[in-house]
Amino acid sequence: MEQFLFSLMNGVIYGLLLFMVSAGLTLIFGMMGVLNFAHASFYMLGAYFAYTLQGMLGFWLAVIVSPLLVGLIGVVVERYFLRRVHRHGHAHELLLTFGLSFIIAESIKLFYGNYPVDYRMPPSLDFAAFSMGATQYPAYRLLMGGIAIAMFIVIYLLLTRTRVGIVVRSAIHRPSMAEALGHNVPLVFMGVFGAGAALAGLAGAVAGAFYTTNPNMALELGVMVFVVVVVGGLGSLVGAMLASLLIGIMTSMAVAVDSSLADLLALFGAGEWARNVGGLMTLNLSSLAATLPFALMLLILLVRPGGLMGEKG
Amino acid sequence: MKKTLYCCLAGTLLLAALPLLLSQGLLNAAIQMLIAALFASAYNLLCGQAGMLSFGHAAYFGVGAFATVHAMNAIGGTGLLPTPLMPLAGAVGGLLFGGIAGWFATQRSGTYFAMITLAIAELVHSLAPHLKTIFGGEAGISTMRMPALGLNFGSTTQVYYLTLVWVVVAMALLYLYTRTPLGRLTLGLRENRHRLQFLGYNVHGLSTLVFAISAMFSGIAGGLQVLSNESANYVVFDPSLSAAAVLNTYIGGVQVFLGPAFGAALMTFFGYAISDLTRSWLLYQGILFVLVMMFMPTGLSGLIAIAARLCTRHGLGRVLPVFLLAVASVMLAASGLAFTIELLQRLFSQEYRSLLQTHPDAAWPAVMLLDQPWRPGAPLTWSVPALLLAASLWCYRLCRRRLQMLCVYDEQMAMTAPVTIQHGEDAA
Amino acid sequence: MKKLTLSGVAIATVLAACTMTVSAAPVKIGLVETLSGPQASSGQSYRTAVRYVVEQINAAGGWNGEPIQLLEYDNQGGPSGAADKLKAAAADGVQIVVQGASSAIGGQITEDIRKHNLRNPGKEMLYINMGAEALELTGEKCNFYHFRFAGNAQVRTKSLVEGMKKANALGTKVYAINQNYSWGQDMQQAILDNQKLGGYTVVDKTLHDVNKIQDFSPYVAKIAASGADTVITGNWSNDLLLLMKASKSAGLKARYGTVYLDQPGNLANAGELAEGNFVAHTFNAEAGNEDAEQFVQDYLAKTGHIPVFVEPQTVYGMKMVAEALTHTPPKDGALDVNALAKTLETTRLSTPMGEMSMRASDHQAQLPMVVSSVSRDAKHKVDGTDMGFKPVLLLSAEQASTPVQSSCKMKRPD
Repeated sequence: MEQFLFSLMNGVIYGLLLFMVSAGLTLIFGMMGVLNFAHASFYMLGAYFAYTLQGMLGFWLAVIVSPLLVGLIGVVVERYFLRRVHRHGHAHELLLTFGLSFIIAESIKLFYGNYPVDYRMPPSLDFAAFSMGATQYPAYRLLMGGIAIAMFIVIYLLLTRTRVGIVVRSAIHRPSMAEALGHNVPLVFMGVFGAGAALAGLAGAVAGAFYTTNPNMALELGVMVFVVVVVGGLGSLVGAMLASLLIGIMTSMAVAVDSSLADLLALFGAGEWARNVGGLMTLNLSSLAATLPFALMLLILLVRPGGLMGEKG
Repeated sequence: MKKTLYCCLAGTLLLAALPLLLSQGLLNAAIQMLIAALFASAYNLLCGQAGMLSFGHAAYFGVGAFATVHAMNAIGGTGLLPTPLMPLAGAVGGLLFGGIAGWFATQRSGTYFAMITLAIAELVHSLAPHLKTIFGGEAGISTMRMPALGLNFGSTTQVYYLTLVWVVVAMALLYLYTRTPLGRLTLGLRENRHRLQFLGYNVHGLSTLVFAISAMFSGIAGGLQVLSNESANYVVFDPSLSAAAVLNTYIGGVQVFLGPAFGAALMTFFGYAISDLTRSWLLYQGILFVLVMMFMPTGLSGLIAIAARLCTRHGLGRVLPVFLLAVASVMLAASGLAFTIELLQRLFSQEYRSLLQTHPDAAWPAVMLLDQPWRPGAPLTWSVPALLLAASLWCYRLCRRRLQMLCVYDEQMAMTAPVTIQHGEDAA
Repeated sequence: MKKLTLSGVAIATVLAACTMTVSAAPVKIGLVETLSGPQASSGQSYRTAVRYVVEQINAAGGWNGEPIQLLEYDNQGGPSGAADKLKAAAADGVQIVVQGASSAIGGQITEDIRKHNLRNPGKEMLYINMGAEALELTGEKCNFYHFRFAGNAQVRTKSLVEGMKKANALGTKVYAINQNYSWGQDMQQAILDNQKLGGYTVVDKTLHDVNKIQDFSPYVAKIAASGADTVITGNWSNDLLLLMKASKSAGLKARYGTVYLDQPGNLANAGELAEGNFVAHTFNAEAGNEDAEQFVQDYLAKTGHIPVFVEPQTVYGMKMVAEALTHTPPKDGALDVNALAKTLETTRLSTPMGEMSMRASDHQAQLPMVVSSVSRDAKHKVDGTDMGFKPVLLLSAEQASTPVQSSCKMKRPD
């Protein structure tokens, strides 16, 4: 029972981490139609900046300043790189962000080396929140989850209750009309891109201390973030939250399940045949834990391409 | 028309003569360049001509590769399918898998289509390590080229000629495809799908067919790689390979038929040559991608087309200085940037940092670059790249001014040209 | 595309001026390694170690009066890149290929060399494997021209079990968690095979995706639920680090027996949670004789850091090759690879850890193994932390050795 609860909680927290990174991406995607391959690189930059600043400013200040720096980089990228390429079409923007992700990853390897760096949470936060049975639950995880939920509430309120939010949402749905009404839509684009990058940087600064901070962070998280955005619906914040929770819980719970398709078929009496067929039939669900999100993504794309909360068709 | 035909023939003859001109190592690089060129052209069929941007094309390359490797192990290169015809197995594999995947993917269009192709590729990439019998685990499946038709296919030269024949035939087929009505319909898919549908064509079936044909040629490319490497490994499904296909296509330029092939050959050679010279070659590759996307959106073939147009309008004599200045500007900028990056890479490397730690009080020791020592404290070390970049900027400015002068001269000639008035045949 | 060592060029010019044999062909060693991309860190360790030994060989006069040339090729982290660079190496005249960073690439190289040697008799190449530890390389894929100078899953697990048993840290319930590819599967099998030797039972086992999992807490939850005292794992880099971090934050009270805990960056990142855990590795200066300390200081002086992780095994492997080279006379002024291979089979080298030799039946080197635990009392601190590896048990080559696999059917020339 406690294993079930722990798996559930771990899944929720991992999902919230995914949300922190994908919130920015879904807004950017919905607004500009730009598939930003460099988004996971902003996550990595946030972790590395926080590591560098931790020595000078201490943990909390580093976690606050690092996203601001990453946001600044995001603004520069949008203004000087993406805007130039925008008129040539989606493919060019995408390839540009792909090239940028290479540049960021290699620059980090250049300056920080190939090995993981020693970015750790401060000892003051390194305690157990509570324990159930034999296992403890670290407080830092709850902190990560708390920051993610706070981020969600802040952004949601910003988008729905403030004037800035209304302008941003109109720029997402009808950019030419918003521009005709006199709003500075390019400035809005720049701001949203920067804010999205800053959110990813915050996620990196917080998660990098808990997981490892190494030059391959972007690759590890990169594809999963895309899956979240697609499953949730392009441009929908609530969809991103739902999708990340779903994927987080799914991957977490699947690890505990050691049965396979053959076991399922055994319920119908076809177990022996399935085991003889081998291959896909005898793969344990626990080994496939990392593959499930892609299967989900494919399913959603075929059945409801707008995503869980996006538009239909 | 005839000129292009002669050019193509000349190019093919040159490629056929390469084994006599190149060393074995470079010949192997040439084989990889040919395979990449075929893959990029097959991809261009879907992306440039049909307008469907697919992100997971490496899946069909990989399926073709595994189909070929299994066929080689099963049939052994004799009988019905001798070794030279093995890529046909790759073609069949690519066609079948491409047909199935295409049927699902083409139900949606635009970004959703791209996402579906990405999802399919990632799904295959995730599943492949688990299906050991089909994909062979992380060591992959290895095979051996069996002798056939009197040749033993042991030397690189024979493999090169086999690859060359296949690539030339496949590219010719792809070109002839563009000349058929189906090829025209493919262009229609890119221009206006709705109109095509109104004209009565089954757009979904058409897109699936185009997808399957593109996947078939990708499968042939995969089969050729297996013939050359004699093994297939599931890392061929990596998303970076799909991304490489997209990049090569756009760097070469999608408007011209041979553009993607050219871009792929160039980038493959770039990777081959630079990866052994410097540790940060991926950084250079990333910078190249970004710069090409920003400043050469029509790709290299577009650049060549612009240059050709300038030549015909202004004459080679006047345009040559512009070209030379442009080339000089690029070379200077490249050397300045490379110098800076290599210097930084050596200064921040693990070995240098531990050297600093062992002697914390001494001045920072020199780093080796181009077999010369450069001290980080000396102003010379930093002024060299600064000078190179400044020179590059100056050349760029000169080049732009000359180009503007050419256009101004053009306008002036147009304004002061004698106006010929056509007198009609009036009856006086 | 090649890089010549500066000392090689210098010695070559000097020797060329006073050498009489104009037709001598120098030996070319090709390092086909992962020098860029995500796994570049391990490839660069192999490069440093190989360069160190080649410089020593050339300082002692090289082979047949000529310095040895070291050519470096970047296989870009994948088997197809390795196949390409191997062909380039063959075209450049390389006779000895060295590699270690990945078992997948090792599998590709050994097969390619086997085919090359079949097709080009008289121009054979040798594959010196410094770190690809998958069992099949000395099993189904065993090949006369392949020599492995690293351990393998069976040897590592046996040593680890013996060491932990001696330190009374093994317990009776063991959990096996490994990566789902050949190395991890070999480790899992080895952990199961050593149950009787260690006196434990494997309560549960898991294979997980390689380098894809960020959050190991579900696996840690499974370990906790199984009630294991010890976790034995062959995981490396991120997979090991994240697993240990997840264990610590869940408060799991189990000991870890690992194979790759000494990878640079692990101790720095893990911090105190690494303390008390075990690793089975090939070198620990504290366990060796006086020569060990001298080797460490010399390596530190030449490369700027003490030899860790795969560097010592690579250095001693190359020294064995050097030893075999001195006993291989030239044939027509050039190196006869078949003769070198036969000499290598009977070469013995005395290292600071014990004597090392090569087993002719499957070309698996018989090397001594050390089991160490992470402790603050260690003599050499690692990664800038205050902890290092304190030896617990030193096994000689005979004690660490495991039998030849029955799947190895080596075809010998002549």
